[in-house]
Amino acid sequence: MPLKIILAIVIAAVTGAAATWLVVDQGDAGDPAPGPSSEQRVVADTSPSGARTSLPGLVPATGGPHLTGLETARPSPGTVVQVQGPFDDRFILSDLSLTARRVAGEVTITSDVSELLELEVLAGFYDARGNLLATGRFRHHATDHHEAGGRTMPVAAQFAIAVPARARATAVSAAVGIPVLVNE
Amino acid sequence: MSTSARQRTTFGALIILAGLSGSALVSVTSATADSAAKAGNAGRIKNVIYLLGDGMGTTHVNAARERYYGADGNLVMETMPTTGKVSTYAVNKLSGQPGSGDFSPNYVTDSASAATAWASGVKTYNAALGVDAKGAVVPTLMELAKNDGYRTGNVSTAEITDATPAGQMSHALARGCQGPNYSAACQDTSITGAPLPTTDIRVTPIADQIARNGTADVILGGGLSRFDAADQSALEAQGYSVLGSPASQTVATKDDLAAASGDKVFGLFNKGNLTIEKYKRQNPQSAQAAEPTLPAMTEKAIQLLSQGTSAGKGFYLQVEGALIDKRSHANDAAQTLEEMKAFDEAVRVALDFAKRDGHTLVIATADHECAGFNIIEKGTYTNAEAVAPPGNVDAGNTANNSTPSRASGGAKDPLRSSGIVNGAGVNDVKNFAPATFRTVDDPASVQDGTPEASLWLSYLSGNHTGADVPVFAYGAGSEATGGSIDNTDLFGIVGRALRVTS
Repeated sequence: MPLKIILAIVIAAVTGAAATWLVVDQGDAGDPAPGPSSEQRVVADTSPSGARTSLPGLVPATGGPHLTGLETARPSPGTVVQVQGPFDDRFILSDLSLTARRVAGEVTITSDVSELLELEVLAGFYDARGNLLATGRFRHHATDHHEAGGRTMPVAAQFAIAVPARARATAVSAAVGIPVLVNE
Repeated sequence: MSTSARQRTTFGALIILAGLSGSALVSVTSATADSAAKAGNAGRIKNVIYLLGDGMGTTHVNAARERYYGADGNLVMETMPTTGKVSTYAVNKLSGQPGSGDFSPNYVTDSASAATAWASGVKTYNAALGVDAKGAVVPTLMELAKNDGYRTGNVSTAEITDATPAGQMSHALARGCQGPNYSAACQDTSITGAPLPTTDIRVTPIADQIARNGTADVILGGGLSRFDAADQSALEAQGYSVLGSPASQTVATKDDLAAASGDKVFGLFNKGNLTIEKYKRQNPQSAQAAEPTLPAMTEKAIQLLSQGTSAGKGFYLQVEGALIDKRSHANDAAQTLEEMKAFDEAVRVALDFAKRDGHTLVIATADHECAGFNIIEKGTYTNAEAVAPPGNVDAGNTANNSTPSRASGGAKDPLRSSGIVNGAGVNDVKNFAPATFRTVDDPASVQDGTPEASLWLSYLSGNHTGADVPVFAYGAGSEATGGSIDNTDLFGIVGRALRVTS
């Protein structure tokens, strides 16, 4: 087996093993390479004959998923509120709490709980006047879920998202929502 | 010749050899089936209807047959003249194709890898859609059919962005990249080395791809939450009749479907997966009961696609009974059986059309087995219920003894087996006992969940297994599915029937 392939497999295994249960802020290594700022066709780097890889009119993403409710939440000091996301009928958020260093809670998946492939919890942090200061993310990314031998996350799981350093001195409230959920 | 080109050539040669040897085998073993298939069809295929029961192993077929038709009966799919079995293994990330030096198999597939195998003819890693194990985009049968002028349809009881339907309509490094928005879940740097730009199709949310690539003319299923207002605009700009509304997140209903017309129809009937048939049957006034059944969606899709054919071209339709797998993961035999029945009724719709039409190939198969479903002898128990595995010591012939040595074993553990799981043991969440079901062979007084019921069902696990899956087929060319084939062979069989592959 060529040395390059052996090296690639080793890197893949190490990356896969480290890819679950991450608590990360924006700008982590999983973010995309810089994207265009204006509308651009999405195409594949390699477009073999027959594959339909042109998506006219689609504006490529420029970062991770956002929840517009974070812009208008304005939670009261000392509180953590939930903002609307596309999958609110599939989970329950509970035990939401905020300290000087993190917002935490529990997410209970309520639909199709046999397999949880992807989960992202997005949090916004606010000052005393309700201004959004910063955001942070919790990600569960199930790599090779079947290879791992089955369920990769309990139906109910706790999450914690660190308050970004730039907001720690002034954040007094938080809002959380779920923009990414893939379960079956 | 480059390494990758040599690998492709080798792989192609192997596929050709496999096809030739498979044809030779069938010519010997399936002569009767061959004649019957051709007798039921004029010999020239215009349409292909490819149905799969997600997670449907041979035991799923056996159990549903006995439940609904009895030991001497047959499911509709079993009445088709050609039968065979399909190997389903996947490969590990960065693997080469079978026969290459860097081939690295993974014996248990997921739905994404399996879908890519029959849709694109390549082995790939679990979670990959429309890309090979090294991340290269590969065209799908539905794309090739659409490009060649066929009408195309994709029907599922899952979210339409889920692996099986997405395997025909998208190219993604990770099946979790379903949408509505891009996220880190779309990247797989173990394949690409570094994150790809979001202009790359392989990290573009699957919903965005489906809404814009025009691969399928008729799209019916679940997963409305994956689509948004921009997707609806993109669909309408291409001429789709959009049932319900992604923009307002209004699900479509079976009445909307019944009234639908036009060349292109997009209808999603639940924000997530569709609802199981058992619940809709028991709750006919519920909102979920407004969802169409799988056979109803199949019938409508065939109607829409067959009316829109032109220039001598036919259609290619994929139909998935997705909830067989999802309820098998949950070890819920009662719901699994009803989903099997619904899937078989969809096969009936397809087969009835094929018999009337005379130019349609029907294939019914699965992507993988789910959960190690088993029929155990009435009144017996499984290892999961026992205090220990069976004894393996043969004092009369010690040559039969093995290691570890177990002089005795097999007693049922009351803590692990507290009564039939859909009967006396229903409230024990740690109960490994089997579920029991009456069949048409039982006296009318016998009830589900009792020791008297004759069909005893158990599960090995909550996950996929590596067992081969059955395949049934009808129509000219169906004989190629007979005997023992691999899931990648189905790409060539369907492709040749549609004359879009060599």
